[in-house]
Amino acid sequence: MNERAKLETKASPHVALFATCLVNAMRPSIGFAAVQLLEQAGCRVDVPMGQTCCGQPALNSGDQEGTRQIARRNIKMLEPFDHVVVPSGSCAATIKVHYPELFAHDPAWLKRAQNLAARTHELLSYLTDIRGWAPEGVHLEKTATYHDSCSGLRELGVKKQPRKLLAGVENLTMRPLAGEETCCGFGGTFCVKYPAISNAIVDEKAAAVEATGADLLLGGDLGCLLNMAGKLHRRGAKVQVYHAAEVLAGMGDEPAIGGDA
Amino acid sequence: MTAAFSARVDAALASPTLKLAIDRTTGTARSKRAAAMAAWPEFNIARDLGRDIKDHVIENLEHYLVTFEKNAIASGAKVHWAETGAQACAIVVDICRKANAKSVTRAKSMLGEEIGLPHALEEAGIERVETDLAEHIIQLAGDPPSHIVWPALHKTREQVAELFRTHHRDPGALASVEAMVGSARRQLREKFMAADVGISGANFLVADTGAVCTVTNEGNAELTTTPPRVHIVTAGIEKLVPSTAHAMAMLRLLVRSATGAELTQYTTFHCGPKQAGDLDGPEEFHIVLVDAGRTRMLAEGLADMLRCIRCGACLNHCVVYRQIGGHAYGATYPGPMGAVLTPSLSGLEAAQDLPRACTLNGQCQEVCPVAIPLPTLLRGWREKAWQQGFEPATVRWAVALWRFLILRPALYAAASAIGLRLMPLFSRNGWISRLPLAGGWTAHRDMPSPTGGTFLAQYKRRMKK
Amino acid sequence: MSSARAKILQAIRAASPATSSGKGPIGAQAAALSARAAATRPERVSGPVDAAFLTRLQDPGIGATTERVATLQDFPDAVRRYLAAQGLAAAVAVQPHPELLALDWSGVETHHHIATDEGAAVGLALGGIAETGSLVFHSSAASPTLFAFLPLHHVVAVRAETLWPWLEDYATALATLPQPRNVNLVTGASGTTDIEGTLVRGAHGPGWLHIVLIGSTNAT
Ligand code: SF4
Repeated sequence: MNERAKLETKASPHVALFATCLVNAMRPSIGFAAVQLLEQAGCRVDVPMGQTCCGQPALNSGDQEGTRQIARRNIKMLEPFDHVVVPSGSCAATIKVHYPELFAHDPAWLKRAQNLAARTHELLSYLTDIRGWAPEGVHLEKTATYHDSCSGLRELGVKKQPRKLLAGVENLTMRPLAGEETCCGFGGTFCVKYPAISNAIVDEKAAAVEATGADLLLGGDLGCLLNMAGKLHRRGAKVQVYHAAEVLAGMGDEPAIGGDA
Repeated sequence: MTAAFSARVDAALASPTLKLAIDRTTGTARSKRAAAMAAWPEFNIARDLGRDIKDHVIENLEHYLVTFEKNAIASGAKVHWAETGAQACAIVVDICRKANAKSVTRAKSMLGEEIGLPHALEEAGIERVETDLAEHIIQLAGDPPSHIVWPALHKTREQVAELFRTHHRDPGALASVEAMVGSARRQLREKFMAADVGISGANFLVADTGAVCTVTNEGNAELTTTPPRVHIVTAGIEKLVPSTAHAMAMLRLLVRSATGAELTQYTTFHCGPKQAGDLDGPEEFHIVLVDAGRTRMLAEGLADMLRCIRCGACLNHCVVYRQIGGHAYGATYPGPMGAVLTPSLSGLEAAQDLPRACTLNGQCQEVCPVAIPLPTLLRGWREKAWQQGFEPATVRWAVALWRFLILRPALYAAASAIGLRLMPLFSRNGWISRLPLAGGWTAHRDMPSPTGGTFLAQYKRRMKK
Repeated sequence: MSSARAKILQAIRAASPATSSGKGPIGAQAAALSARAAATRPERVSGPVDAAFLTRLQDPGIGATTERVATLQDFPDAVRRYLAAQGLAAAVAVQPHPELLALDWSGVETHHHIATDEGAAVGLALGGIAETGSLVFHSSAASPTLFAFLPLHHVVAVRAETLWPWLEDYATALATLPQPRNVNLVTGASGTTDIEGTLVRGAHGPGWLHIVLIGSTNAT
């Protein structure tokens, strides 16, 4: 058995939760939900206190050197752990896909970046694919629909995992979302650099969400969820928005994003 | 955002009909493509093959260009080379003048648009008749194309009817799309037969036969290239394929990706002028091989983009294109492929918004039939724009300040705490609808008011208990 | 403009990273790519080629009608029936192919040039492709290109024994034939989706295509 496989089947891997800057500031409950789910899945969870951000805003602005500074810091911080788990597809993809690209010409750091990339996972796919975890005894008498955030979907292949997990929540009825794989218009800095275009995109998304008639909109990436929740609220829609991890952790009847539960 | 781009975007978003027109055509295109792909589980391996065929050609471009030239000349064609668009236009105009051409018919070619051929012909005082229905519509309207497969996609049927009513000889009632197509058929019929020169583009140049492949559904390409005395092809040097068999593999990808059909109604290989005994066909057959920035793309690390077969799938699946349409891009090629091409063709400074006005959602790459990593290429332009200092000073400062903080967790925590304490001051019932420095967000959507401090601070407190 | 040629080729040489070296001769690489095509084809053409061809032509997206007759001698009757069914005058432009000219066209006015506004033309295709339901025309004295593009109705005979299963099979055959000025693969009637994506027939080429399959693949 190789080193990697050993780690993955370890009964109790030492996991760092990389909460992401948005969860840290805007929606701490996702962080708590993630800790709880990881512990249920048999992990020893640590939340490194020195964590800030994965560096995406710099990366997407084309500031490669700046991103490298941030990446080096994060690599050092996260090296001691068996696994790094991130409750966001786009932040996980930054570490998993883009950190190694940044060090293509720096063999020493490339190796460290690749090593970290191999141990980094998006939360929902980690729970199913690596830990084989499934919810037990979680009830929620609601209808919900799911939006596939683009980075998780296309850079990491997160598609079936959240649906599989949510199917295990008792009494939760899932409704299909037309255009579930279509971008919501968040795009990180895009939504503030090109607000009018972003608005037109999220308006269409919000209309599609409303058309499902679902009580809840769920997803796996807080940036997108804030974007859609903010638009739904501005449109006066009653749909409540949660990260899928919150529902899986049994927090689906606590206040939704924006608080008016 | 540059003022010019901002103005074009605002105009597009303000149009009462544009979105409707875009949705009608791209919606149909997306669902037809999806149906075609559902019936073709081999798409993924076909795409790898398409990518490899084009990469093979680009890696051996000189070999294939020279082979093509040799075989085309052997078939009786005259082959011309143009380094720039202006040179290519001059060659075409010169051939037209020598042929004493009064009237020229043209079958849609994006390269022709790229190099400004319509304009050059007009300057030269030669009557230009666009024969592709969509090109005919935008010629009447005086518009540039807004899509590479459906150039008149921005026009609603009502607007087309209005144009035909004004410009056609015998428009009839124009009560249906069928009636509009019928009117255009009547209008263009005599023009096809009366033209002195027919100009087309090329979907593929077949190296081992010297043939030029065109695809259309209307049949206008053959009616443009057969009756006139002279046929001129303008083609980018990246259009080569090794053989007819390779062209067939590419056609499977191209047509399904563009329209969802399996093959275009008319797929034609043009090879040389009229042969002995032929009852129709041009006496002269010219091929103009155009660089116009392609070798520069090769040198700039954009070889991947030279695979593009102009199918338009990335446009139809782009959330940004579908909101702002083609004209907002301010260039011949819109959408994701245009956002990669335009900075190379017309300069990064002027086109800097195009790679930035993208959410990097990756759907374009997913549908591209030759697997072009469009988001990666767009990131590449952003890096160049950053290095060359095109990002506005405010953005650079904001990124620098943010980076300063996130490299210093203690400061970052303090700053976050202050921010999070201030934000609720702007909130009502848990939502913020106006926030200083976040106008881009709150102009269009609300922001949930954060509660209870950061996750890290709360977690630390809990752990201490 | 030969200096443009030299400059372009020079620019290609300057820009290309040392790529292809080590991948073997160019021709062998191209052949290896061709060999991969078979695995990418839609799993469709199995069983008799003529049946596959006719099945493919049922697709409404193609916009053709079909029938089968036993021999080429039956073609004029098929044309007469078609004209009557469509309510058209008994007059057609006959593609100047010796085999068509030799048929008995009595009862139908025939001519051998094609007019700009031709109502109906009859033709004989060089062959067909089952995968796509395409007709193949090679331009020649017996097969002028415009016969397939000017008429409003095009009625075409194609022999079952001239059907190729796949696009590549035709490409292989083409390499052994004299290269015509124009190869036209005609796949259904002319159509356009240029106005709001709505499909309309008869944009510039024929609005109606009727294909008469002659004989069958098995019967010889
Ligand atoms: S980039 Fe790809 S999807 Fe876009 S037009 Fe070119 S080939 Fe088609």
